[in-house]
Amino acid sequence: MRNSIIGIIVFSVLAVCPLFVGSYWTGQLTNYLVYGLLAISLSLVWGYGGILCFGQAMFFGIGGYVMAVFTKGMIYPDLTSSYIGLIAAMAASSLFAVALGYFLFAGRGISGAYLAIITLAIALVLERLMSNWYALGGYNGLLNIPPIKLVLFGLSYELWDIVPTFYIILGLVAVIYFAVTFLVSTPYGLLLTAIRTHPDRLSFLGYSVLNIRLSVFALSAAIAGLAGALFVTLDGFASPTLIGFTLSTEALIWVAIGGKEMLLAAFLGAIFTRVAESWLSEIFGDYWILILGIAFMISVVLLPKGLLATPFEKLIGKKRRAIPPPPAEGDPSPARPLPPTPDQ
Amino acid sequence: MDILPVFLDASSYILILILVALGLMIVFGMMGVINMAHGELFMIGAYVMVMAQSYGLPFVAGLILAPLVVGFLGLVIEAGLIRHIYLRPLDTILATWGLSIALKQLIVLLFGPESQSVVGPVDGSLVIGDFQYPIYRLILMGASIALIAGTFWIFLKTDFGLMARAVIARPETAAALGIDTRRMYRLSFVIGTALAGLAGALVAPLISVDPQMGLGYLVPGFLSILVGGAGPLAGVLVGGTIVGGVNNLLAVWISPVTALIAVYIIAILIIRLRPEGLLGNRRAK
Amino acid sequence: MLEITGLTSGYGGARVLSDVECKIPDGKVTALMGRNGMGKTTFIKTIMGLLKTEAGSIRFDGAAIERLSTFEISRLGIGYVPQGREVFDQFTVLENLRLSLLGHSIKSQDGLDQIYEWFPILKERADQRAGTFSGGQQQILAIARALIANPRMLLLDEPTEGIQPSIVHEIGEKLAAIAKETGLTILVVEQNVDMVRTIASDALFMENGQIVDSCSISELERDDSLLRRYLSV
Repeated sequence: MRNSIIGIIVFSVLAVCPLFVGSYWTGQLTNYLVYGLLAISLSLVWGYGGILCFGQAMFFGIGGYVMAVFTKGMIYPDLTSSYIGLIAAMAASSLFAVALGYFLFAGRGISGAYLAIITLAIALVLERLMSNWYALGGYNGLLNIPPIKLVLFGLSYELWDIVPTFYIILGLVAVIYFAVTFLVSTPYGLLLTAIRTHPDRLSFLGYSVLNIRLSVFALSAAIAGLAGALFVTLDGFASPTLIGFTLSTEALIWVAIGGKEMLLAAFLGAIFTRVAESWLSEIFGDYWILILGIAFMISVVLLPKGLLATPFEKLIGKKRRAIPPPPAEGDPSPARPLPPTPDQ
Repeated sequence: MDILPVFLDASSYILILILVALGLMIVFGMMGVINMAHGELFMIGAYVMVMAQSYGLPFVAGLILAPLVVGFLGLVIEAGLIRHIYLRPLDTILATWGLSIALKQLIVLLFGPESQSVVGPVDGSLVIGDFQYPIYRLILMGASIALIAGTFWIFLKTDFGLMARAVIARPETAAALGIDTRRMYRLSFVIGTALAGLAGALVAPLISVDPQMGLGYLVPGFLSILVGGAGPLAGVLVGGTIVGGVNNLLAVWISPVTALIAVYIIAILIIRLRPEGLLGNRRAK
Repeated sequence: MLEITGLTSGYGGARVLSDVECKIPDGKVTALMGRNGMGKTTFIKTIMGLLKTEAGSIRFDGAAIERLSTFEISRLGIGYVPQGREVFDQFTVLENLRLSLLGHSIKSQDGLDQIYEWFPILKERADQRAGTFSGGQQQILAIARALIANPRMLLLDEPTEGIQPSIVHEIGEKLAAIAKETGLTILVVEQNVDMVRTIASDALFMENGQIVDSCSISELERDDSLLRRYLSV
């Protein structure tokens, strides 16, 4: 439970931020919250689901484009509701994830390093595709995407102002954070842990490994799609960079630096990295990316659980335990566990 | 349109791709390490050539320096980074990814983001009747074939190769026979990186040398390995030919975008349907 | 002489051996016996440096080896024949043997002649792939591969497991003859009592990750209560 107390503290601190920082930073922070949501989605699929996805931005981008197409009225000019757009964005991303996931995981599925390479390749293909899809703006993307329009009991309000937008997004992100946190504490979370560590044993117990993988992949894609949809309403435009390689990479860095096995750490990893980038890129200029790359490398080598998650775990005082392998005579030695096979 | 130059262009691209993939494959097959910075090592090879030419050194000097510099860099990377995490294969992807970002930015800081040009050692074209083709491209193809053959010879015919293959098949048993597996890993890593550096220097006169050029070879390089099969070395030849050939020919005949999309989709389909690769065998360990 | 004191090791977090004490005397064949899962293979692998020593020491002729890498231990003169033989089945017989020479930086081919004298079948089939061999032939190759580097001590892990009885006896006689001829120290993990009687002079018994008893083979011949206590299921 201390876990959720820390979550409440973090979101409370974020909630008072607009009182202390100017409107420029509030606007920036709104963007970072959305990036944080993307980080949560990646943490869910990678840290909990054990699926290392090098192209998480593809779901973000799909969500963004679907939101843009709906709210700009490009398909049904009468149906420009933000609500429908958000739902359609999440649905489109998760449908794409189910189709892709089925292709990737069914049968002798792809996992581990191969999966990383293939998801990276797919993200590159999608980015290239969007750059050349002229109906959707091609390389320049779609402009003039309206902000979110809240409609309640016949009243409508468009989110043009910075502070209300911040609070709406913060509320949404908080709801999703706590919902996912709750989800991974249920038996479903236990199943994910089992599937990450011993997928073969789980299938002996009669669970469908494929269905569990698909469900977590689709859920994560829906969250990433929501993040993408929110993002385009903030910026007002959707471009191929949302879907591809660079953002996917950045999301990986946030989550790896924050801590992939802890949603809050991944979320804060995104926010801290972005805040640090805004400050430090002014001081260090072009050296910032060099520093970021090196920091990423060091955190992977020295703190595989993440820069933020390591102190957090101490604070919470509980450790997620892996199931230890039973000792056995002639047990294959762990000294070098990998023949590079696709099934590992 | 004359068809022979098109096939020759495709062949030279395929050969360079195979050189890049071969370096990746040695490291992957040997240590199970996915080196995401391999494309940047290739790029640095090309920049060594840029440097060499800016100091007025001859092209051949660049060709000698590139594998030396990049191989030394490989040694440093192995000792400073890979050595500590090679038992965590997924983390090697992330760590070398971080390395790739850092190396790319280092080159931007040193040379700027714009592309550099490298002058080839020979300018002329080979002319036989109506057919004409740049001589340097022919030299490049000859040199690539020699390098690929040399690498195969090292791994299939020499004592070093015998030990390397033993370490790949049964690392613990190889160690129990007195083979220093760590040293074999390090040597293989250095050979793989030096190959990438040499490939970068060789191809530098034909392409635009810029900090982003690595990724354009890294992903096709990996797809070649996965398509061909990560088991036998010869898999790279098949994979590289399919990936490089489809990409290059479709780019000429349809468009570069269609080619790229088509090649990725074909590669992903093959990998999905035959995870062990086209040449991979399912032999029990 | 191999001296082991307070040895503790295992796989990852799971401790298999705790506080193992024993001495393997020079020039003798010692059998290590015990039921499955008692830690015999773990013990051998720990000596070879394939598993990390968590506590305790392993001294080989006075030198501490518990912190050395496997290849260094091998080069110090400890040969290892792993459980399941682990020959390189894609390589020829000769390549399998040469690997051991390469690993020990031995240039001369003298060792090869000696091996061919002991095991003529390997000479006949030098260019055949090891994978085409029967289990017993692979076992002979694995033993030859360890012997060719001229070790001072040989560790054998279940050399008779899964091998036809006729060849088991042959391997036993051959090993006993070689041990007698060269004065090689051998530690053999073995469940087959006949094999132990053929080659060993002493026996150690392992239970729950500890050496719990020892005796000479002649004692064992007179009284098999130890065998019943530590081996019967």
